Amino acid sequence: MDNYDVECALEICDVCKHFGGIIATDHINIMARSNTIFGIIGPNGAGKTTLFNLITGIYKPTSGDILLYGKSLVGKLPYEIACEGVARTFQNIRLFNDLTVYENLHIAYQKSITYTIFDGILKTKKCKEQEAKCAEISEQMLKSVGLWELKDQLARNLPYGLQRKLEIARALITNPKVMLLDEPAAGMNEEESEQLSGIIKDIRNNNDITIIVIDHHMDVIMDVCDEITVINFGKQLVTGSPYDIQNNSEVIDAYLGVGD
Amino acid sequence: MFIQQFVNGISVGSVYALMAVGYALIYSLLNFTNFAHGISVTIGAFAAFFFLTYAMQNLLSGIIMGVIAAALLAAFIQLVAYRPLLKRNSKRIFLMIIGLGVSVIGDNLIIIAFSGRFRIFPVNFSSESIKIFGANIGVVDIIIFVVSMIALLIVELIIRKTRLGLAIRGASFSLDTTSLMGVNTYKLILTIFLIAGSLAGIAGALLGAKYTTYPSLGTFYTNKAFICAVFGGLGSLPGAMIGALILGVSESMISAYVSTGLRDLFSYFILIVILLVRPSGLMGKSSENKA
Repeated sequence: MDNYDVECALEICDVCKHFGGIIATDHINIMARSNTIFGIIGPNGAGKTTLFNLITGIYKPTSGDILLYGKSLVGKLPYEIACEGVARTFQNIRLFNDLTVYENLHIAYQKSITYTIFDGILKTKKCKEQEAKCAEISEQMLKSVGLWELKDQLARNLPYGLQRKLEIARALITNPKVMLLDEPAAGMNEEESEQLSGIIKDIRNNNDITIIVIDHHMDVIMDVCDEITVINFGKQLVTGSPYDIQNNSEVIDAYLGVGD
Repeated sequence: MFIQQFVNGISVGSVYALMAVGYALIYSLLNFTNFAHGISVTIGAFAAFFFLTYAMQNLLSGIIMGVIAAALLAAFIQLVAYRPLLKRNSKRIFLMIIGLGVSVIGDNLIIIAFSGRFRIFPVNFSSESIKIFGANIGVVDIIIFVVSMIALLIVELIIRKTRLGLAIRGASFSLDTTSLMGVNTYKLILTIFLIAGSLAGIAGALLGAKYTTYPSLGTFYTNKAFICAVFGGLGSLPGAMIGALILGVSESMISAYVSTGLRDLFSYFILIVILLVRPSGLMGKSSENKA
């Protein structure tokens, strides 16, 4: 195994999460290596999204630790974790519907703004420089995902596929170290999901970023991921390369039911 | 007579608007009604009164003192009473109960500190009036209208034009998502309370100038403002403003042409009708909007 030669971007160490008597995640261990795409698959209700909520600080793990480049994220507030460099998209798209496409990116750029209220009132050089930089990066980002012409549209008016793209752009503009994509291909047809695979791979190739993807679309997952882990009923079944996963009998049982 | 009553209604309505917008701002972010809003108004009135009595006889400075005192009080209440519950992700109903408790404690502390007397501002323009179109318009009403509109305009500009406003608009759609963008939502909530408190302070100082200052001033008028906020649609700023102006004018018309005694009855009757017929108010967002 050459896993240990490469730096680990996100490490999930023996994490459990209980909701009352329900065990949503049960001793999960994940090591996502730097600049790779890591896939998490599993049937509905397996605890995949719970895992994302644990990483982003929406939930606190009952036990275990989550490390971002060796630094623990447990106990931090969601905005602090976002500032550490974790961005995410949602299974059910959560754009700011009442804001325009352009404003959706601006709000996400908050992290990189350091000028104070006084700089804002006095319109100092620092304020102007940062706002100009923000405008420039937003423009670049929107052009790269093909939304520049639609920048003044309200997010709610975009078609579904474009909303997904905007959500990815919004996550990306925070310049994250780790980006979590929660079912990015949900509701997409074959052609769209193929295009999405391309976008995800481009993002990884053009940025210094580690991507973690949850999805049900096996074609997307198998196409983009370097490594995959399978979760069922909160338990981790197996971790390995896409080829290993496709040929693992436990995984087939989890998805198709156990044969007699 | 009609014009006079109309102007009076607009003036009262714009004070309602200041308080109703405070309710709407906090509701839009946190989905709960800040029932401790009233004591900020009362403290605003008292701060203005004491400043005018003992320091300087200048109404504008008095209003500014009222704003500072009320904003600090609102921030203090947020830090001490609400923040611990927000950090624990408590149900919103607990926040409302805490708010009610704080409101009762505050009212009584004010009675203990300043006694229940009614006090009149040493500087007020209540006896002065100017003639417009043959009607006697009170100078105090004009001052109230102008000051309120300027304050509301500033808040509107902050929300539409600034980065803070962008965060507020985002957070009113979803607080959680906004925090995932790296926005410090606790700081944002504190800022919202400062803004709502400032508006409450202005309202208190203006009410003190138009009427008198007494310990239950805030509670009485914020109840009315709450009706306006519900009427306009909880969480909607334009709704709160429109609701406030409509209620202000209708109250003033009722007391002029029907009976002063029926005025408050009418307001609360309106509240019940709205809740039965159209609970989301004139421009309210439906509760499904909040994830």
